[in-house]
Amino acid sequence: MAKTIMIVDDEADIRSTVKTILEKNGYKVVTAVNADDCLKKLKKVKPALVLMDIMMPGTPVREVVPKIKQKVAYISVVRTSEAEKEELMKSKNIVGFIQKPFSIDGLLKEVKKLVK
Amino acid sequence: MDITKELNSNQTVLLLMPSASYNKQLVGVVKKLAKKSVCYVTLNKTANSLKEMFKKGKVNVENIVFIDAISATVMKVPKQDNACYYCSSPGSLTEISLMVSKFLRHKFDYLIFDSLTNLLIYQKKAPVGKFVSSLINKIKASDTRAVFYALSAKEQQDLIQQSGMFVDKVVSVK
Repeated sequence: MAKTIMIVDDEADIRSTVKTILEKNGYKVVTAVNADDCLKKLKKVKPALVLMDIMMPGTPVREVVPKIKQKVAYISVVRTSEAEKEELMKSKNIVGFIQKPFSIDGLLKEVKKLVK
Repeated sequence: MDITKELNSNQTVLLLMPSASYNKQLVGVVKKLAKKSVCYVTLNKTANSLKEMFKKGKVNVENIVFIDAISATVMKVPKQDNACYYCSSPGSLTEISLMVSKFLRHKFDYLIFDSLTNLLIYQKKAPVGKFVSSLINKIKASDTRAVFYALSAKEQQDLIQQSGMFVDKVVSVK
């Protein structure tokens, strides 16, 4: 059965591009426009992985992530140090950190690994 | 391109860089300027990630003070920490402007603004234009020499043209 991925990004272009890539590779995709929208939608869908932009308008992502029971991978345009990355990934459900800009192959490889 | 020479004859320089060599150029420029005091304004990489990158590039970071307007958007940060001052977001133009003004009063030799391109992600063209012109006027009233980074992308032409009118020289890096 196809696994469901939730894409949470305030940029419509990123949402639609990642959605197309993942759907073409056999995943079911749901999208959310920010962290609050993500929490709302998670009441109805239970994705295998949430791909979440680390910086979005609305409630800060760091406050929302602990409320999510599913695995979360950050997508980040912000370049952080290794120590900061480790700090950001301290929350139990954070399983990955994908740096923007990413390649299609790189994204698919990471998603495949994380939903296992 | 020798940034020190450029800044000797021009107080403000806009440096246009291709995205492919952006990080390499960034390290090269700061390596030359960090022999004197530098105020580095970052809107896209956290100050700690820059320090990490500069140390790898054998840049002496002791002369650099950072204004970091990006870290607070992704993690909890103090107001000030280890030669770094934090602003709440890259879109907080007033906050950034006030902080830069404060630093200009401390007579830094150089100011690096990284980057104009990032401003447009968070704000519309009009306020960004106003911010850039006001910032350059403040710099011109000081003894600090400044280099502004921008990506030399087609989508950035409006900003480049607008900012190009305010700075003393536009240098395109290949």
